[in-house]
Amino acid sequence: MDTDSEWKKSRSDEVSNVGGQVVAGNGRAAGAGGGSSVILSASNVRKTYRLGRVDVPVLHGVAITVREGEWVAILGASGSGKSTLLHILGGLDRPDGPSAEYPKCAVKFRDQNLIEMSSAQLDDYRNQTVGFVFQFYHLLPELTVLENALLPAMRKHGRVGYAVARKGLEAEAGALLASFGLGHRLKHRPAELSGGERQRTAIARALINNPHVLLADEPTGNLDQKTGEAILDAVAQTRAIGGEETGKRTRTIVMVTHDQRVAARADRVVRLVDGRVVEGVEPSSAAM
Amino acid sequence: MPWLAMTSVALCCMLTLLVWSIMGGFLDVFRDIGRKMEGDVSIKWDTVGFAHYDDLIARLEKDPLVAGAAPVISTYGMISLPDDRSFAATIQGVDERYSKVSNYNESLWWKPTTEPAKTDELGKAFVDAKKRGVPLSQVAKERGIKTTAMDPRLDPQWSLKVAEDFTGTPIIDGRPVEVPPPGSFRPWPQMLEDGKRLMVTDPKTGLPRSAAVPGIEVGGFLTRQPGGWYKVNEFAASRRSDGKNVWSSAFLPSRSITLTVLPMDKAGRDISTRSIKLPVANEFRTGFFETDKNTVLVHLSVLQKLLKMEQGEVLESAPVNPYAVEDAGSGVERPVQARVVRIEPAKVTTVLVRAKGSVGSEVLRERCREIYREFARAHDGEVPTFEQMDGGKGISTWERRFALFIGQVEKETVTVLMILLVISLVCTALILAIFWSMVNEKTKDIGILRSVGCSRTGVAWIWLRYGAIIGVCGALLGLAGGTLIVWNINPIHDWLGQIAGISVWDPSVYYLPEIPNKVRWEKAGIVFSCAVVFSVLGALVPAVRAANMDPVRALRFE
Repeated sequence: MDTDSEWKKSRSDEVSNVGGQVVAGNGRAAGAGGGSSVILSASNVRKTYRLGRVDVPVLHGVAITVREGEWVAILGASGSGKSTLLHILGGLDRPDGPSAEYPKCAVKFRDQNLIEMSSAQLDDYRNQTVGFVFQFYHLLPELTVLENALLPAMRKHGRVGYAVARKGLEAEAGALLASFGLGHRLKHRPAELSGGERQRTAIARALINNPHVLLADEPTGNLDQKTGEAILDAVAQTRAIGGEETGKRTRTIVMVTHDQRVAARADRVVRLVDGRVVEGVEPSSAAM
Repeated sequence: MPWLAMTSVALCCMLTLLVWSIMGGFLDVFRDIGRKMEGDVSIKWDTVGFAHYDDLIARLEKDPLVAGAAPVISTYGMISLPDDRSFAATIQGVDERYSKVSNYNESLWWKPTTEPAKTDELGKAFVDAKKRGVPLSQVAKERGIKTTAMDPRLDPQWSLKVAEDFTGTPIIDGRPVEVPPPGSFRPWPQMLEDGKRLMVTDPKTGLPRSAAVPGIEVGGFLTRQPGGWYKVNEFAASRRSDGKNVWSSAFLPSRSITLTVLPMDKAGRDISTRSIKLPVANEFRTGFFETDKNTVLVHLSVLQKLLKMEQGEVLESAPVNPYAVEDAGSGVERPVQARVVRIEPAKVTTVLVRAKGSVGSEVLRERCREIYREFARAHDGEVPTFEQMDGGKGISTWERRFALFIGQVEKETVTVLMILLVISLVCTALILAIFWSMVNEKTKDIGILRSVGCSRTGVAWIWLRYGAIIGVCGALLGLAGGTLIVWNINPIHDWLGQIAGISVWDPSVYYLPEIPNKVRWEKAGIVFSCAVVFSVLGALVPAVRAANMDPVRALRFE
């Protein structure tokens, strides 16, 4: 906890430009305005899970649009289908096929329809286009912080490519982790880290391949408020990471939460109730 | 859990290598010894034998496939030992040509040596003491050696010392010691030469005299030690012809043995039993227990004479009135002298043939059949025809003659390997269960890997590679352990015998005095490959399950 607080303090100046705007809820980072292009969209998304002999519908024709550089919070109660929607947007899960009620289902990253992608394409999409951050961190316990952060890079470069580029990648990952205050923890295993440190490691892992979209599923759900704030700062910080390589692009963030205060950090909030998008609201009203 | 899987693979490999090496090694040693004893091919006409064998040998030795050929007579008889024991034995007549087809000269046991066996601690101390020029007792004390027995062949003075023991010890436990005649104990080099010639020099006349060379286990006076050397028991209780019990030399090459054989005519009827007492020139050790226990070698000419197989004259039938002739010189009447009709050539029962270089025994056998066919044609009516010889399976290899036995051992080996295969399948099932459980345990990790973009195939490969690594490591560990055990199987067996009285390997049952202790690397390679394949197979189903896991469910797995 102490290390998280210290890190937050040391980073506060660096993130103030971005984080300050987000907390206020009114400011938009570059590219987050109404004029930017749509990066992620879903329409008529339906998903049903089978629990034993019972079909449990989770999403009922959900439609959502996320613009490039936007930070969107999907707000909803437990069981409302927000994580399922996030998984579908991230290519980790597939929606149900078209039905009479929802005949045209599409989940798009820019112009590419995820539903029409092959398994291999979806694997690449998850590896290079999006990065996931989960509530329970989901780090591999046998690997060190550095190795965990490098996992997606290993997958991206392949065994030979990774072996060739290993030193450069390790330096890159080390710098990324250091930017999240984990420079002294590189050789530590997840069990030796605090909750906040684990989540920051998970964020670094999500960013290692410099994805366009960061998909965060209740990233503060397992943390106390103070640490959660620090993590949200870290998430805010991720908007700029990699921007220098991709021109002026700011990373798009889609964050799932049930906490209205957390949602208030986003540019826009999408409320999900019982598998249906109820409204798209400004963060300030969501926090009320 | 991976350690458990690796251990099971290692144990399976160890067990398989152990059984395969010992059982397969048994056959290898059996075949090797057979070749060393009897060459590659034998041409055999039992009991009555066949003539003109020198011609057959000359024909055989002309052939480029043949390294050498030797005449042998093999018969059954009785052997009587100095302590009055008598039993049936195989008596073989051989001459100097025998060493061309067999390792006879190398098999002679009593000869000078300077290489003590690994287990002969006192022997090693003896050699060391000799090098350092200090008394043996000093080196033995330095090394804390308590035993007083060593391989006597290391000591060139051994025979002299033993001979002195007899003369200096007239009575033991109130029983007189029978002093062996002078010259009974000969130095090792002499004993080796005597063994090669199958002759000893008569101490009284100084002339060479026919002798016998029994197998090393025939007498039963020696105690085989771990490591393969023999301890000599100096005295044996025996009864003299006058009924008195005495101590006499238990070292068979200082004594004589009596052989009794049963000559037979062409129809297989006995003519009359013949016995001969022969001094023992040396003892031989082939490593094939059955032969070492039941075979006595004598010179070919001795056995030919005993069995009436030497060259002889065939006389015409006796005339009607045997007294009808008056001697032309003296005028005295005398019986009619039967006329020599023909000379019956000497016979042997077997001609052994050794192949040149790497010529296979079956190839040589085919060649021997052709040569015998020509030979039989050349001596038509005097030797068994080719058809008789070939039909009776007289031209045979060692493997063919022991085909039934070898086949049984081979079948036994296959059966045991099949059982081991089943055990390996159980091991595979164990790996499957362990991997299944590991996949369960690592469900969340699989979800994590899928979330960062790992493909289904990639996930499956991880588990398959894991299985292969466990197979490789387990197999290497098992093979290393198995190899160590096989290499040291005889000391382990002896040690078990000492501490627990367990003696599994009985030489009289398994033919060989020692358990085969060689690892064939091609077998180890097969065991290694199978272990890896079975391990990968064991990991296959869990790997497929891991690959097909829904990543969302996997991430939510508690």
